Amino acid sequence: MRKRAFLFGYGQHGRAIAEGLKIEEFKVIILESEESNLEVAKEDGFLDTMLIDITKDSQLESLMIEDDDKVICVMDDEHLNVFLTLSLRSIYEHSFLLSISDSIHTTQKLKKAGANRVISLYEVSANRIHNILKRPTATQLLDGFVTNHSDISFKEMTIPVGSRLDGVMVDDIYFGEYKVLLVGMIDEELSQKFLFITAGVEHKIDAGDTIVCIGKDEDLLEFEKSVVNTEDMEKLI
Amino acid sequence: MILKYLKSKNKKEIIYKIAFKLDHSKSYYKTKSAISDILNEPENRYKKYIDSMIIFLIVSSVAILIYEVKHPVPHWMDTYDIYIVSFIFLVEYLLRLWVHNDICEAITIEHKEADYLSREFEPWTPIKKALIEKFNYMMRPSSIIDLLAIFPAYRPLRVLRLFVLFRVLKLLRYSKNIKHFMEVLANKRFELLTLLLLLIFIVMTAGIALYVLEEQINPNVNSLFDALYWSLVTISTVGYGDISPVTNEGKVISMLIIVSGIAMISFATSVIVSAFSEKLNELKENRIVEQINKSDKFLVICGYGQLAKTFLRQEEGLEHHYIILDKDQERVDEAILDGYDAIKADASRHETLSKFSVDYTKITILCLTNSDIENIYITLNAKIIDPKIEVIARANDSALYNKFVRAGADHILMPNSVANTMLLAAISKPAMYKAVFDILTGKNIAKVDEVTLYEDNPLIGSRIKDIDFKRMKLLFIGIQRGSDRPFLLNPPDDEIFQKGDVLIMMGRKISHIHFRDMYQVHRI
Repeated sequence: MRKRAFLFGYGQHGRAIAEGLKIEEFKVIILESEESNLEVAKEDGFLDTMLIDITKDSQLESLMIEDDDKVICVMDDEHLNVFLTLSLRSIYEHSFLLSISDSIHTTQKLKKAGANRVISLYEVSANRIHNILKRPTATQLLDGFVTNHSDISFKEMTIPVGSRLDGVMVDDIYFGEYKVLLVGMIDEELSQKFLFITAGVEHKIDAGDTIVCIGKDEDLLEFEKSVVNTEDMEKLI
Repeated sequence: MILKYLKSKNKKEIIYKIAFKLDHSKSYYKTKSAISDILNEPENRYKKYIDSMIIFLIVSSVAILIYEVKHPVPHWMDTYDIYIVSFIFLVEYLLRLWVHNDICEAITIEHKEADYLSREFEPWTPIKKALIEKFNYMMRPSSIIDLLAIFPAYRPLRVLRLFVLFRVLKLLRYSKNIKHFMEVLANKRFELLTLLLLLIFIVMTAGIALYVLEEQINPNVNSLFDALYWSLVTISTVGYGDISPVTNEGKVISMLIIVSGIAMISFATSVIVSAFSEKLNELKENRIVEQINKSDKFLVICGYGQLAKTFLRQEEGLEHHYIILDKDQERVDEAILDGYDAIKADASRHETLSKFSVDYTKITILCLTNSDIENIYITLNAKIIDPKIEVIARANDSALYNKFVRAGADHILMPNSVANTMLLAAISKPAMYKAVFDILTGKNIAKVDEVTLYEDNPLIGSRIKDIDFKRMKLLFIGIQRGSDRPFLLNPPDDEIFQKGDVLIMMGRKISHIHFRDMYQVHRI
């Protein structure tokens, strides 16, 4: 079954996110309280659309969101957005809620309302200004890595059972051989938190851990092949 | 007859030749504009030295004036006061007069025009015009003060000593506050003039009345001057009491002018206060602009919205000087309340941005308003004023990226599309999302920093494997060697560092500082 994503709001952000989710092969369900926005969604080729009054819990309950569904709240009105997040959290305790916020105060409110991830609209951009002013070269490079404008990018991969990296200490692997750099990892044993390689803690890689590397695209693919069995790759990407 | 004609023609030709030569002489032009710059351009680097010197001369000559009231003046002080100070002031005065306008240019233009219209070249008209212009300059109050300040203190005549005080007035030129004060008063010219006329009227009437009533009776009133003096002292509520009315009629007049005096003083005060409160914001803003123009480099932040707020909050102790511009008074007030320097101004207007000293400082403009059209407009405005101005612009609609590039923006921020990408990453690649997010927001553990190897850096010539990045808890990412060459990601460990290399690495701030300390690399 395809992964499902419930997208509340097809305005400023919703449109671009829906497009991205489609590319990532999610089944996108769009919910809107504005008729006009919903029309746009239909024109853009999304079939699962629904007009909804988010202030009514009964309507939200009827959506039958499951625990491993992703729920994205990006209504244009931030008050509605916070309210929606709160309602959804009270109805669906375990689903993964994401939202975008445009100020520090809204971020706090959304977190309090129960969003799992709140993306701050300006935090990244504001930091980029600092970076442009202080370290122009590094900033330009990072921009390239993240926006696919250069052939260098980040990649995450999960270590399968039986991989040659399973059970190896991070320090013992010589990543240079593959021309990639290990940036950090999520150690399933310890916590769900991402650990940077620079944290200075010794780590053992186990099956189920996720590692994030940086490198040239073709080197990354090469590296991934040597880590993950080829037949498993389909599932992981 | 013919000879005379030839002679006069010859004279004109000579005038023209001299004027032409001077007008086209590079060194003459350069000297003149340099002097004009030093004397009149507040942003000139050397102006402050000249200013301090003149201020010193003024203060010292006033000090001598005070000193000599009770002490005999030594000879060298006299020489200094009479010759040196006066001479420097004379030179200054003449230079100001010289750079005020250009006679030579006027003559050459006249010659050109005469040539073009094939009429006779008449050098006297432009010379006359230019001289009138110079005369008008001399008649300005500031020039008159300058001229009077040249006169040295003529000691034998006590009154003439006060000429030195004209030198004090010269200070006005150097005090922006007093200049602004004068401007404010000049704006209320009409009200103040009315008040003055009224004052003269009352003083005259009351004075004359007292003179007529008491000249015979009151021993203190001997002339009309005494009566007028009494009248002014009374109306101003100063009331020395050296002259006071003795008759009942005189006392009634006194009472009347005391009452009108109170009314007049409160009127004058209110006029001046209201003039200032009207201008106060403008004065403050000019102050801020002047202050910031003195720094080597600064930021102009246009629009105090969420992005600007986040930017300012993110890093404590922003290294750059900055100023916030916003069209909306409410936002300006908010910024000031938050403790930032902000002024109400429309950055898309030419006058606003040209207030900043583009020639002497490195300016970076951040267009952070929430309107893309506005941001493009500000970008264009900045680039037209000077292409050297660096512009970092915000584009809400990523479709406008190319338009921003065309307008000349050096860096373009796209908060919306970045946020959307991050959200998608959070869904589909959670581990990577965390890593990239921390790196991009500069979380302490994942700060990416760069180190440029300038000449004499101890690192130049050593190999990557010689440096223990791991021990310093740094992740060495790679080398950027020259801006047009591809980035060397994770180069082989026998790579040798070269001059001009930019090393990119990631780690905690403390590790970066440690690295810099160890290899004596400091930001320039």
